[in-house]
Amino acid sequence: MKRKIVVIEDDQPILDLMGILLQKLGYEPVLIANGLDALTSVRADPPALILLDIMMSPLSGWEFLERLRTEYNQREIPVILFTASPTVPEKMKKLNDPKVGILQKPVTFDELRAAIAQFLE
Amino acid sequence: MERPITIWRVSISHTDFVRTIVIASLTLSSILITTIALAKNAGAIYPQLFYFPILYATYFYPKRGIILAGLCGVVYECLVYFSLFPDMLALWGSTGQAILFICVALAVAYFTNLLRVSEARYRSIFENSLLGIILFDKNQFMIRLANHQIAAMLGYSVEEISQRTFSDLFFTHELRRRFFEHLGSGEEIRNFETCFTTKNGEPHWVNLSWSRIDDTIVSCSITDINAEKLARELAADSSTQYQQVTESSPTGMVITDHTKILFANPAFSLFSGYGPEECINRDITDIVTDEDKDRFLKFAHRWNIPSPVPDRSEFRFVTKRGEIRRAVLYFTPIIRNNRPACLVNIVDNTEWEEYRERVEQTRERRREMMRAVAHELRTPLQPVLGYLNLLLQDPQSFGVTEETRQILDRCAKSVDRERQIINQMLELSVLEGEETSLDYSVFSVGGMVNAVIAGGGYALKAEIAIDIPQDLLFEADRQKLSYVIDVLVANGVSYSKPPKKIWITYRGSPSHPFHRLAVQDNGIGITEAQLDAIFKPEEEGSPHPSGQALGGSGLSLAIAKKYVQLHGGYISVDSIVNIGSTFTIHIPKKRPDTVDHHET
Repeated sequence: MKRKIVVIEDDQPILDLMGILLQKLGYEPVLIANGLDALTSVRADPPALILLDIMMSPLSGWEFLERLRTEYNQREIPVILFTASPTVPEKMKKLNDPKVGILQKPVTFDELRAAIAQFLE
Repeated sequence: MERPITIWRVSISHTDFVRTIVIASLTLSSILITTIALAKNAGAIYPQLFYFPILYATYFYPKRGIILAGLCGVVYECLVYFSLFPDMLALWGSTGQAILFICVALAVAYFTNLLRVSEARYRSIFENSLLGIILFDKNQFMIRLANHQIAAMLGYSVEEISQRTFSDLFFTHELRRRFFEHLGSGEEIRNFETCFTTKNGEPHWVNLSWSRIDDTIVSCSITDINAEKLARELAADSSTQYQQVTESSPTGMVITDHTKILFANPAFSLFSGYGPEECINRDITDIVTDEDKDRFLKFAHRWNIPSPVPDRSEFRFVTKRGEIRRAVLYFTPIIRNNRPACLVNIVDNTEWEEYRERVEQTRERRREMMRAVAHELRTPLQPVLGYLNLLLQDPQSFGVTEETRQILDRCAKSVDRERQIINQMLELSVLEGEETSLDYSVFSVGGMVNAVIAGGGYALKAEIAIDIPQDLLFEADRQKLSYVIDVLVANGVSYSKPPKKIWITYRGSPSHPFHRLAVQDNGIGITEAQLDAIFKPEEEGSPHPSGQALGGSGLSLAIAKKYVQLHGGYISVDSIVNIGSTFTIHIPKKRPDTVDHHET
């Protein structure tokens, strides 16, 4: 049984790419382009890991993470912040959440594999 | 001075010697003439002869003159007694003569003494006077007499000044002419202010008073007012200067009694909007903004303590027109009319503050823009990099030929390099925004350096000599320090000629507050002119584009420098062209306080 990874990303080319790469890595990707839809999906069927873009609307990555952790009480699902913004690493440090990792866009295939492996192996 | 002559233990001066001989010979000849006259019975003029030695002696030696008169009386009495006895009338006459001798001697002694005392008194006045005194001839202006004071005042000796004329002493012709006019009026003049010339030709202010002693001699007393005059001129001068300075000063100046304004200059009026008259008696506190009032009162409270110290602080003020202006107050304690007062300088820095804010805003906007641009550059790069990776990962399944794979591989390398440059740009912009914190941990330096060398594969590119104590531990951000070592080693490798050699050496000592880690190469070196430029990312044309091995950007050394600075340290560079360069990382052994480890 393949482990499910939810990718939340509003940039379609990247979303498509992640689908292909994750499949290649042996996971079952669930591609969602909108944070609000993602919340519903994650609650209904919690994945093994979430790849989360930060700069999205209407729900930003930070807001998604906040609601996931508190409102939906999903504290154990690892979340990898998948972002192009340079200030995210510092903000992430302040969260002090061991189940949150970071991948700075653009990532190579190997970096993606290593980042996921950090939480799932 | 007369030289004294010693005769039988008594020392007498030349003059005394001559006088003694004259008096003795006069006395003897009087006695002789009297004797002969009495023997020949020749009339009655002889007693008068005795008056010559008596008068002469008494004038010069009052006491001895009286004794001589007594002796002469006795001798005369004896002579008359022997030659004319028993003529009683002659005897009474001679006794009367003898008594008269003594009376005359006493009278002369008395008057001589009176004369001497009064002469001495005038002499002492003349010589010891605090005033300069000159007696001069009214017609030729020859100086007849000058005392020590006036000579000293003008830098002459008494002899030198006595050889000059009074008119020579004036500093200018005009002053001399004015003096002659007053002298010609014939009146006694008091407090005539004029300027003399000293021996060195410098002006010297004096105050003259003069009166005529007789038809030709004028006595002039001179008061030295030079110091006073100069002080007065200086005071007048500095008062003018003070006025000019305060009037023309671009900074506001007020003199206050505590916070009540006693004086305000035009610049303060301009600053506050209140006219000069409106400022007087106003309390400065009134024009401080409500927000700053408490702070201002605390600041002003320190003006009131005994012996206050100069102080400064920045406040916001409300002008008459209601504008808010920002100014720095400089407080200085002063004395005004013998009472302590406060001099407060008000330096308006509203414009400066606005300018600083604008600059800060511009910088912030620039950082924001850089981030936005970098973000926009990174996002589209992801599919390019990702799909290239995908193709290269499994070329056969996508039907990629070997030739195509090589082309794609070059593309992937290029994209990766671009990715690194963008990442460095972003890292630097984050570092400049001072938003980075360090993750401190304690780690083995040797282990960290070995990991960097292994990770970069540097051992294949150059001979690496590491000299770091096994047990040496750093407390620092391991990841960031690894980056720094990586940059320096990569830099060394890039700029060395084969046989390439890199030395990594620890140069700390137990007493030194800094760890020093040196990375030395045998490369091309850096000229002095380039030294300043190598850490600056904007130096595009730098012939030493550091970190080429890391992706061809000059940003990596700038980032390394920032990382070390975040630790409270610095990087120093020693380099000799064609011999090699040594980059030394200085990291404080003691971790700086968490509050200020952002920037040093």
